[in-house]
Amino acid sequence: MDFNDHEYFTNREISWVHFNGRVLSEAEDAELPLFERLKFLSITSSNLDEFFMVRVASLKDMVHADYTKKDIAGLKPSEQLKLLYGVLHEFVDRQYLCYKNLRDECAKEKLILIEKHENMTPEQAEYADRYFISDVYPVLTPMAVDSSRPFPLIKNKSLNICALLIKKGKEKEKHQEFATVQVPSVLPRFVKLPSEEGTVVIRLEEVIERNISRLFSNYDILCSSPFRIMRNADLTIEEEEAEDLLKEIEKQIRKRQWGEAIRLEVEEGIDKRLLKTLKKELNVTDDDIYYINGPLDLTFLMKIYGLEGFDKYKIKALTPREVPGLPAGCDVFEAIRGGDILLHHPYQSFTPVVDFIEQAARDKDVLAIKQTLYRVSGNSPIVKALAEAAENGKQVTVLVELKARFDEENNIVWAKMLEQAGCHVIYGLVGLKTHCKIALVVRREDDGIRRYVHLGTGNYNDATAKLYTDMGLLTCSEAIGEDATAVFNMLSGYSEPLAWNKLSLAPLWLKKRLLKLIRRERDNALAGRQSSIRAKMNSLCDPDVIAALYEASSVGVEIRLMVRGICCLKPGIEGVSDRIRVYSIVGDYLEHARIFIFDNDGDPELFLSSADWMPRNLERRVEIMFPVEDPALKSRVMHVMDEQFADNVKKHELLPTGEYVKPKVPENERFSCQNSFMLEAAMMEKKKKSRESRVWRKKS
Amino acid sequence: MAEKKLFAAIDVGSFEISMKIFEIGAKGPKQLDHVRHRLALGSDSYNTRKISYEHMEELFRILKEFGQIMKGYNVTEYRAYGTSAFREAENTSLLLDQILNRSGIKLTVLSNSEQRFLDYKAIASNGERFQKGINGGAAIVDIGGGSIQISLFDKGQLAATQSLKLGVLRINERLRKMQPKITQLEEVLDEMIGSQLRVFKKMYMKDRTIERIILMDDYLSPVIMRQTKKDDDISLEDFLAVCGKFREMGKEEMADLLETPEENVNLLRISAAIIKRIMPEINAKLLWVPRAALCDGIVYEYLEEKKLGPAMRDFEQDIISSARALSKRYMGSRKRGEALEYLAISIFDGMSGIHGMNERHRLLLRLATILHDCGKFINMTNVGDCSYGIIMNTEIIGLSHTEREMLAYIVKFNHDDFEYYDELSAHTRFDENSYMIIAKLTAILRIANALDKSQKQKVKELKVSMHDDRLVLLLETGDDLLFEQERFSARADFFKEIFGLKPQIKRV
Repeated sequence: MDFNDHEYFTNREISWVHFNGRVLSEAEDAELPLFERLKFLSITSSNLDEFFMVRVASLKDMVHADYTKKDIAGLKPSEQLKLLYGVLHEFVDRQYLCYKNLRDECAKEKLILIEKHENMTPEQAEYADRYFISDVYPVLTPMAVDSSRPFPLIKNKSLNICALLIKKGKEKEKHQEFATVQVPSVLPRFVKLPSEEGTVVIRLEEVIERNISRLFSNYDILCSSPFRIMRNADLTIEEEEAEDLLKEIEKQIRKRQWGEAIRLEVEEGIDKRLLKTLKKELNVTDDDIYYINGPLDLTFLMKIYGLEGFDKYKIKALTPREVPGLPAGCDVFEAIRGGDILLHHPYQSFTPVVDFIEQAARDKDVLAIKQTLYRVSGNSPIVKALAEAAENGKQVTVLVELKARFDEENNIVWAKMLEQAGCHVIYGLVGLKTHCKIALVVRREDDGIRRYVHLGTGNYNDATAKLYTDMGLLTCSEAIGEDATAVFNMLSGYSEPLAWNKLSLAPLWLKKRLLKLIRRERDNALAGRQSSIRAKMNSLCDPDVIAALYEASSVGVEIRLMVRGICCLKPGIEGVSDRIRVYSIVGDYLEHARIFIFDNDGDPELFLSSADWMPRNLERRVEIMFPVEDPALKSRVMHVMDEQFADNVKKHELLPTGEYVKPKVPENERFSCQNSFMLEAAMMEKKKKSRESRVWRKKS
Repeated sequence: MAEKKLFAAIDVGSFEISMKIFEIGAKGPKQLDHVRHRLALGSDSYNTRKISYEHMEELFRILKEFGQIMKGYNVTEYRAYGTSAFREAENTSLLLDQILNRSGIKLTVLSNSEQRFLDYKAIASNGERFQKGINGGAAIVDIGGGSIQISLFDKGQLAATQSLKLGVLRINERLRKMQPKITQLEEVLDEMIGSQLRVFKKMYMKDRTIERIILMDDYLSPVIMRQTKKDDDISLEDFLAVCGKFREMGKEEMADLLETPEENVNLLRISAAIIKRIMPEINAKLLWVPRAALCDGIVYEYLEEKKLGPAMRDFEQDIISSARALSKRYMGSRKRGEALEYLAISIFDGMSGIHGMNERHRLLLRLATILHDCGKFINMTNVGDCSYGIIMNTEIIGLSHTEREMLAYIVKFNHDDFEYYDELSAHTRFDENSYMIIAKLTAILRIANALDKSQKQKVKELKVSMHDDRLVLLLETGDDLLFEQERFSARADFFKEIFGLKPQIKRV
C-alpha cells in the first residue's frame, strides 16, 4: 500500500490557516475574559502578517520562477495560492466580525474604540487636533507623486494614508495629485481622548486623516484613506557566497523593507481613484487586495491589552513556581549532582536556567561554558552572564544563530557584544540553522572534570519562557556530557563523533532514529506485542514521518498526536490512519514542548526535543532529541502528556474532514491542562516549602 | 582540591587531525573530549611530496584552535605527533618550524614504527582482553592513510611486523584515478593488495597459526563497534556477510545504514576489502575491534614515561622478541646471541655509574647483541655492511628512525672500522649525543664480542669492577681464553679511547 499518496495529506498552508483559526476561536470564545480575547485577536493578526511575508511570498516566488513541483498534498504552487486566496479572504472577514463584536463588548465595559474621526465629540476633536499639531505633525513626512517625483517606497508592514489632492483654485481632473504619508511607528498607535465616561481612544491614523489638509496647505483634499502593504520578506541568503554571514544578514535586513508587495490592505469603500493608483504603483493583483471593514492592522489590540485599569478583564498573571530541588539561591551544581532535574515552564520558573549560567560565570572551578542562542530576550540575563564569564577568564563559546527569522537584527547586537567581552562566538554551520537548545558547563571538581548540561525544548529567552510551555533537563550524566561536548565540537566545524551515547542530532540521525522508533512500534504491533505512540509537537508535516505513522496505524499501533500548529496528516482514513487521533491545544500559554513517547512493548522510551516533525527541522536544522531516563522524571512527563490529552477546554480535535472541533462539556467536567499544571507547580512548591519548614523546626 | 592532571594527545594524520583530552587519575586516563577535523594532508604528500600552502594554513588554524580548547580544560601537558603525510613530504622540517611559530604547538614526526608502536600500545591498553586476543595467535592489522602495518603475535609475543604501502587514502587516491565501478572495486583492490599479501604470507606465516585479526582503523572499526558488543569478536562468516551487503549498496544507502558520514564510505569500503582479503589469506577466523586510536597510544606512552598508573605490558620485551624473530629469519645463532647479550649487558650494568647512558640505550645494546651477525646470511666476509643493510631495511617496531640507524651502526662498527664524528656526520644526521651513544655501545659490544670470539660461550660468569682507570672483568671459565684475550687486547684500545678506562681480563 502506498502511504505517500497525495490524497492522504493536507496542504501545509491551509493547515496553518486552520491553526490561526483556532487562535481566532479563542478570541471568539465568550467564556474568556474580554482583554484576553483582544490579545488573541491581535495574535491572529501578527501571525497572519508573518504568514504573508514568508509563506505567501515564497509561493509567489515559486510561481514567478515557474516552479511546478507539487507539494505533499499534490498541489502546484499556483494551485496552492489560488486555494489560499479564498481561504485567507474568508479568514480576514472572520477576524473583523470578531473585532466588531469585541469592540461592542468593550463599549459595554466603558472602553470606547472610536472608529472614525467624525465620531468624536467637539472636545475630543479639539484635543486630537492639539495632539496632532504638537506631537504628530513634526514627525510626518508627506510625499506627493507627480512627474518629477516618483512613487515613494512604502515600507514593509507600515501603515500609511494616501490622499488625492488638487491645487487650490484648479478643479480639473488632470490637476489631481496623489500623495502619501506614513503613520509614524514611533508614536503610539492610539490616542487616549478626554471623556467623562470610561476610556475613549482613537487610532492615530484617524487623527492624521482628520488633519491631513494641514499637510498640504495649498491643496484641497479630494479623498483620503489608510492603506498597508506587506512585502516579500523570505529573502534567501546566498550563504555559500556570503563570506561573512554577519554582514550578509545585515544587508538582507535592509533589503527586507523593499521586497515585492504581496498584500495590500485598504479600507472598504476606498476611493476608486486612490485604489487604482496604489494597484498600479505597487503592482498588486486583485487577489492581493484585502478590503477591510474596520481598522487596518489589528496588532494595536495588544497595546489596548496593556491599558491600565482593566485587570479584571484579564486572567491573573501566572507566577512561575520554584522548582523542587532548586530553591532560589541554591548551589545549582550541587543540586544537579543529586540527580537529573526536569523543568516545566512557564509553570516552573526559568530562573534556575539563568542561575545555572550565572553561577557558572562566577564559579572559580568552572573552566568553560558553551551555549547555543537562538532567540534571546532584550537585556537577556543569560547573555550578560556569558559575557561576565568570559571576563572572568572562562572559555566561553556561544553559538549565535543569526538566521532566527525576524530576530536577526537583535541577534547581531548580542553577537557583537559577546565578542567584545571575549567570548568565542560562532555563527553556525553554513546551510543549517542551529535550532537546538543546549548549554554545557565544564567544571573541575574534587573527583575530576564534570560536565553539566541543560537541554531544552525552548529558547534561552527568559521573557518567552513566561509565555511558552517548554521542558528542560539539567543533568550531569557523563554520557550526555560527552555528547554535548561533541555537539559543540561539531558546531565549531569539527567532525561528527564516532558514536553518540544518548543524543540524536538532526540533520544527521534524528529523522532516521524517529523512523526507526516508529517502525519498531509497527513491528511490535505486527508481532502482537504492546505498541503505541504519543507525541506532542508544534507542527507535523514531514511526509516520511507521516507515511511511517500511517503504516504503523494500519497494522494496529494506537497513535495520539498533540500538534499545536500545522498538521499535514489526515486522521481517520480507513485502513490508513483510523488508529490515529490528532489534537491541538491553543491556550493561554503557547504550547511549545516537543515530547515523544514510544511504548516499546511496555517499556516506554521517552524523548524531549527541540525539533518539530517538519522537513526543515529534521533536514535543514541542527536539532537535538534527548531521552528522559530517570524513572521519576519519566513518569512526570508521562503525566504531563496524560493531562494534555485529557484537556477538554482548550483542546481541539482534528476531524477526517480537516475541520477542528472543540468538545462541549458541562461546567463541572471542564478540565484545562494548563490550569492543572499551574496548580500542580504551586502544590509542588508548597510541598517542598513545608518540608523545608519542618526541617527548620526540627533543627531549632 | 586534589588536582588531576590534564593531558592532550594530538594526532596530525594523513586524513584527519584529532585531539583527545584526558584527565589522568589513579585509575588511568579518562577521555574528556575528542575533537576531529578532516584535512587530507596525505593527498598532497602522496601526490606531490609536498604539503600545500592551503592545507598548511588550515592546519595552523586548527592547531591554534586546539590550543584554545586545551586552555579551556587547563591542560598542562600535551604531545602532538605527525604521521605519514609528514613523513612523505619533502618540506617537513620547514613546516614543523612554521607550525610552532604560527600555532604554538610543537609537532614531532613519528617514524612509521614509532607510530605503529603507539597504535599497538593503544590496543594493548585494553589489558586482559588484549592478552586474550593474542593468546591464540593474532595479527594486528593497523590500517593507516599511507600504509598498513601487520604485526604478528605468536605465543603471546610479538613475532614479526611488516609495513605495506597500502593505506586507505593512498589506495583511494589511486582508485580515484581509475574510477572503478562498485562491482569492480573488490577485484581491483584484490589485485592491488593481493600480491603483497602473498609475499607477506610466504615470509612470515610458515608454521604459524593466527586465530584472530585485531583491527585498528578509522572507518570500518566504528561501524563494527556499533554492531557488536564491547569486546566481542565477530566471526569471519558474519564479517563476510556484512561485506556482501556493502557490495550491493550505493554510497548514500551505505552511509545511512551504517550511520557514517558519506565521505567516509569509500575509505570504509577499502578497509573492509583489505580485511576481507587478509582474513582468509592468513586463515584467521575471528575479528576483534578494540577501542583504540593513536591518541590513546600517545597518552599511554606519556603515562609509562611518567610512571603514572600500572604498567600494562612489558613493551620492551616485544621489541626484543621481534628482534629475535628477525635474527632467526637471517639464521642468527640464538645461543651466541644470548651469550653476547649476557656479556655486553653485564659490562653495561657494571659501568652504570660512569657511562651516562639510560635504559633505552641498554635496550639498544641488547638489540645489537641479538642482531650482531644478521648480515652473515648475505655475505660472510662483509658482515658489517650487510647487517647494517638488513637493519636499516627492516622495521623494528618501537624504535624511532634514529634509534634504528644507531643500532645499525653499532652492529656495523662491531665488524668494521669505527667512523669518527666528522666522517660519520658527513653522511648521517646524528647529533653529537647520538654519536657518543653509538661510540660507547660499540665499544662495549666490541669487548663483549671479543670475550666470545670463539663462539663457544666459554665465559660462565662475568663480574665487573672498576679500579681508578681500569675496568676489570672477572671471568669465570674453565676453558682456555688465548684466542679471546688476543681479540680483547686488540679492542681494548678503542674502549679506552671512548671511556678513558682500560679494560682488563682477570680469571677467577
